[in-house]
Amino acid sequence: MDEVARLLTDYGPAFGQALFLTWKLTLVSFVPGFVLGVVVTVLRLFPLPPLRWALTLYVEVFRNIPGVALLIFIVFALPDLNVLIDYEHSVILTLALICSAFTADYLRTGINTVAGGQIEAALSLGMRPLRVIVSVVLPQALRAVVQPMTSLLIALMLSTSLASQVPLPGRELTALVSKIATDSAAGMAAFALAAAMYVVTGLLIGWAGAALEKKLRILR
Amino acid sequence: MSRPLEEILFGSPSPRARAITRVVSGIAAAALLALVAAAAMRFHEAGQLEARFWNFFAWPTTWAFLAKGLLGTLASAAMAAVIALTLGLVLMVGRLARPRLVRWPSIALIEFLRGTPTLLLIYACFLVLPSIGVKLSTYWMLTLPIGLSTAAVVAEVYRAGVLAVPRGQTSAARSLGLTEAQVFFLVVFPQALRYIVPALVAQLVIVVKDTTFGYVVTYGELMQNARVLIANYHSLVPVYLVVAALYCLVNYAISRASQRLGRPMH
Amino acid sequence: MSITSFLKSTLTALALVTGGSLFAQGTPINAAAFDALVAQGPVASADAIAASTWASKIKQAGTLRLGGTQTSNLFSLLNEKDNRLRGFDAGLAQLITRYILGDAAKFQFTQVTSSTREQVLINDQVDMVLATYSITPARAEKISFAGPYYTSQAGVLVKANNKTIQSYNDLAGKKAATQAGSTGPAILAQFAPKAIVQEFQTHQEALDALRQGRVDAYVTDHTLLLNALSLGSGDAKLAGAPFGAQDPYGIGLPKGSDGVAFINAFLKQLQADGTWAKLWTISIGQRTGNTDVPTPPALP
Repeated sequence: MDEVARLLTDYGPAFGQALFLTWKLTLVSFVPGFVLGVVVTVLRLFPLPPLRWALTLYVEVFRNIPGVALLIFIVFALPDLNVLIDYEHSVILTLALICSAFTADYLRTGINTVAGGQIEAALSLGMRPLRVIVSVVLPQALRAVVQPMTSLLIALMLSTSLASQVPLPGRELTALVSKIATDSAAGMAAFALAAAMYVVTGLLIGWAGAALEKKLRILR
Repeated sequence: MSRPLEEILFGSPSPRARAITRVVSGIAAAALLALVAAAAMRFHEAGQLEARFWNFFAWPTTWAFLAKGLLGTLASAAMAAVIALTLGLVLMVGRLARPRLVRWPSIALIEFLRGTPTLLLIYACFLVLPSIGVKLSTYWMLTLPIGLSTAAVVAEVYRAGVLAVPRGQTSAARSLGLTEAQVFFLVVFPQALRYIVPALVAQLVIVVKDTTFGYVVTYGELMQNARVLIANYHSLVPVYLVVAALYCLVNYAISRASQRLGRPMH
Repeated sequence: MSITSFLKSTLTALALVTGGSLFAQGTPINAAAFDALVAQGPVASADAIAASTWASKIKQAGTLRLGGTQTSNLFSLLNEKDNRLRGFDAGLAQLITRYILGDAAKFQFTQVTSSTREQVLINDQVDMVLATYSITPARAEKISFAGPYYTSQAGVLVKANNKTIQSYNDLAGKKAATQAGSTGPAILAQFAPKAIVQEFQTHQEALDALRQGRVDAYVTDHTLLLNALSLGSGDAKLAGAPFGAQDPYGIGLPKGSDGVAFINAFLKQLQADGTWAKLWTISIGQRTGNTDVPTPPALP
């Protein structure tokens, strides 16, 4: 137990900063990723074969590519194409792209739950297709996918551990544990503390998601 | 829903709508081609289209070398999947058990394994466990954490499937005089499996993706062999592109295989 | 698919225009000479092996578990076509393998990086680590070193068109790459404390970072920098002369292992019969245009 106390005195502030960096990376990647996912989903609805084909390719690629492979490509290979992105933004871009692909997928399932009668009614009121999608379909679809999106957010939070693989200016939780375990003997305590932080953050997100779902759930 | 959304929204278009759609499709196609051309131009300007960066892909030795790396990836992924599927079952049974002494530790273990990043668990096996005397082989240092982490998720997937089986099945089985174990394994679980196969296969894809962390514990897999090719031919972009495509293809194939099995939960 | 067909036609066009691939990727290693040198290395007598528990364990296992790198041009590079590892470090490792087991190919290879080198020895994942591994007191607390088998000072590599950095004195406020877990960070802390340090896991990554403009300079062992220059792309140069203390490279072994004495005796033998000098010439000298063989470092 005093090992934990010693760990906190030596590395306490570092853990605080690492936790904050983890949260920051999670949020800053989720928002653009989510928005991009919604846009991709809506665009895929239009009856334009080239667009649908290209966007399906996009979703399949970013759903199946390993995060590390994508990050390494952005950090190490893109500069050879004269695209130089700094490390933190590379991590955020990686996470956002993958998040957008999964969002597009889940949202598609959510759209499938909207009753056909809704659409027909909206059309008979004279609404244009885009208006129907934005005002009738999307709100209901989004409310239906709160639970998978919560899981996605938790998975995204856990994926911020990717950032330990590039020389970021700051250290997030996994990079910090790796450093402490290499430099000192307090590896076990550091690991336990970091694991606790991840688990608690995940539980908090889960509870918030469940509460949100209960409020927004459409009872049929 | 009886008909897909697109058909309701855009089905049976008028001749004018059809014409507009054709024109806009044409524009979209042209825009996409322009995008591809711009990317190719960028490749060309950066000198990435030179033959020396691509010609070694014509040699069978290159592909044999990449295949060896892929084999390392799949060897670890397959075992991790086996661990996840079996341990996941154990964890789920513990989670659904009636006695609190069995249920609470199961819940705690599942939440712990699900709530920590796989990479952190891998670091723990590599850096932390040896300091308390547990020295695994390189292969297990990668496979075990991936298996454990996925087992927790699989346990929850199993649970969702089991809870989706209609209660009537359980009651009917019990009324026939089957024991609890027989009710579960002969009646409930096989039906649950049919619902959750896509979700299980999705976990398999995640397992393959997690093996890319192999270099953290010095396990040789596809990414490492990619680095050797890069060191030999200084061809960063082409090699990484090809390797990324290989991963996508493998994972896509696994996902497609799942679409032939299982049916959705509702 | 439109992309592949476009690429194919562009490739053909380019090939016609440039007359095929003429780029020289530095001087490749003389594979025949290397393989011959390693194949005729000495083999230990049964007594010599029996006298060392470390060597006996390897002999019994029938294979030497080696931690090294496959991506270092001068020191250890894997040729994926014939699956042979060649370079200065690779040569030494294979000579040691042949010495113990009679066959230079009987080793099991594990790729290590700066941050995994000590841990794989502590974890007993490998028997020895040969990977441009600098001997430092901090590392010597966790593992033992045989050797030194090579020494090198530090150097500064910059892009060829860089006029502002003439030596390590000009690194204040500039971004300097170095390898994590190497002597680079300590050297930078001592000689250029105001530099902004970025640590990379491998030599190749740090070189790419310099080439791509993520950093202004790369500070590491002088020999590794000569390696980069030997690749002949002409857009990097050394800033100033080698500086700092002589950095000794050692062979990593588990802590307290008697393999240290065993390998040191063998290294002395290699220096005495000229094999060290021949290996240096084949793997480093001929490829960096250096003809004076340096004197091998004194062994304890």
